[in-house]
Amino acid sequence: MTRTAPIRSAAVALGALSLAGTLAGCATAVAGGSGPDTGGTAGTAETGGAAGTGASGSYRDGEYTADGSYQSPGGTETITVDLTLADGVVSAVTVTGEPSTPDAEHYQGQFEAGIDALVVGKSLDDIAVSKVAGSSLTSGGFDAAIDDIKTQAAA
Amino acid sequence: MRPSTTSRPRPLPDAAGAGPTAWRFEAIGTLWQIDTDAPLAPAVRQRVTERIAVYDRAWSRFREDSLVARIATAPGSYALPAEAGDLLEVYRALYAATDGAVSPLVGRSLEALGYDRAYSLRPGGPPLAAPRWEDAVAWDGATLTTVRPTLLDVGAAGKGQLVDLVLDELARAGVTAAIVDAGGDIRRRGSGRIRVGLEHPGDATRAIGVVGLGDEAICASAGNRRRWGAGLHHVLDATTGLPAARVLATWAIAPTALVADGLATALFFADGGTLDRRLGGALGEFAWVRVLAGGRLEASADLRDGSRGELFA
Repeated sequence: MTRTAPIRSAAVALGALSLAGTLAGCATAVAGGSGPDTGGTAGTAETGGAAGTGASGSYRDGEYTADGSYQSPGGTETITVDLTLADGVVSAVTVTGEPSTPDAEHYQGQFEAGIDALVVGKSLDDIAVSKVAGSSLTSGGFDAAIDDIKTQAAA
Repeated sequence: MRPSTTSRPRPLPDAAGAGPTAWRFEAIGTLWQIDTDAPLAPAVRQRVTERIAVYDRAWSRFREDSLVARIATAPGSYALPAEAGDLLEVYRALYAATDGAVSPLVGRSLEALGYDRAYSLRPGGPPLAAPRWEDAVAWDGATLTTVRPTLLDVGAAGKGQLVDLVLDELARAGVTAAIVDAGGDIRRRGSGRIRVGLEHPGDATRAIGVVGLGDEAICASAGNRRRWGAGLHHVLDATTGLPAARVLATWAIAPTALVADGLATALFFADGGTLDRRLGGALGEFAWVRVLAGGRLEASADLRDGSRGELFA
């Protein structure tokens, strides 16, 4: 029921920071870690090779690598996220992990697979609908708070 | 620091599909759109606005002057508004069907993760499991008795219930055909069916399917938008205080938005077949869809076989 496709989601377009954070957080929670704030990407985020000039928003184009770690019942697990930003949109992402236990291997495999296997869907422009049921219309207050955090992260 | 809550409302993604007249406004932290055949009279709009305000003053966890805020200050017995009985019935059924994962007692758990009145969006400590219902409160419909300070959060079903109450308010004013849409939680009263897209959890410009909506409600829940950090979003497992991690997005179609909203939350913790079996018909029949973290799509038989919609997967 799923199909493989290139990365192309609006959530991804939020930028490297939120994507990597989301992924690391997933791993944390799925693996039953000690808390959602133990993961994250505070490790070795760095800009690799071709840092582009076409800045879009507050995130510069280029190739990024970040290590994340999380606590699982089997010990500390780490993953590495490699991500390419082009025109402010994530154009490629790979996640590699070095699971130290079968459980970690299972869960990491699950969410690595999820990255490019996420159901693609159809453009709303191509289907005639009267309404959309979803969660995109959140409050101004919440969005403002998120923007604040992004600003801090980009500084 | 409190972020601004007066930002400009953004356009809906499908403005072309609105009814003959659409009334849009922002309330309880989301955008509303009410579609009717004829423009609503100012007096009717006023009644709708007032109904929403009254509900908010009772149930909002984000207001200092709400009943929920008062309940949180001290244990005791509190008289609840009339709608509490219906809300209780749905919560009690879902609490049992999800082994306590869906609970109205998750207020402190949400605060612990930073989803608090000030939208601090920073975890203030380790995840906090909600108290067990039977240990913390006695709720008999109109009266809530707490044995310790208890912070309610009716976010799992409250918005849906308010959609129902707004529709009731319209009916009392003689408006019998209407679509009430509160930020993607929708109930419709009228003949025939309309096509409703299921918003892609990762891309608001896309849909993962289309369903036909008759005289009924569809509600969605997803962790993708109200997400403020690594793995942090507002759909919590009350038994652990941790955000649900295995499910990305859910939809439920049911006769009322109260039930559909509650089911959409419960689908984060069990698939629809399991819920249906464990509920034993307590909340009536429903259709459902969910997208799992791996991208897998699950749905009720009537959606899989195409008889009431189409899934693009």
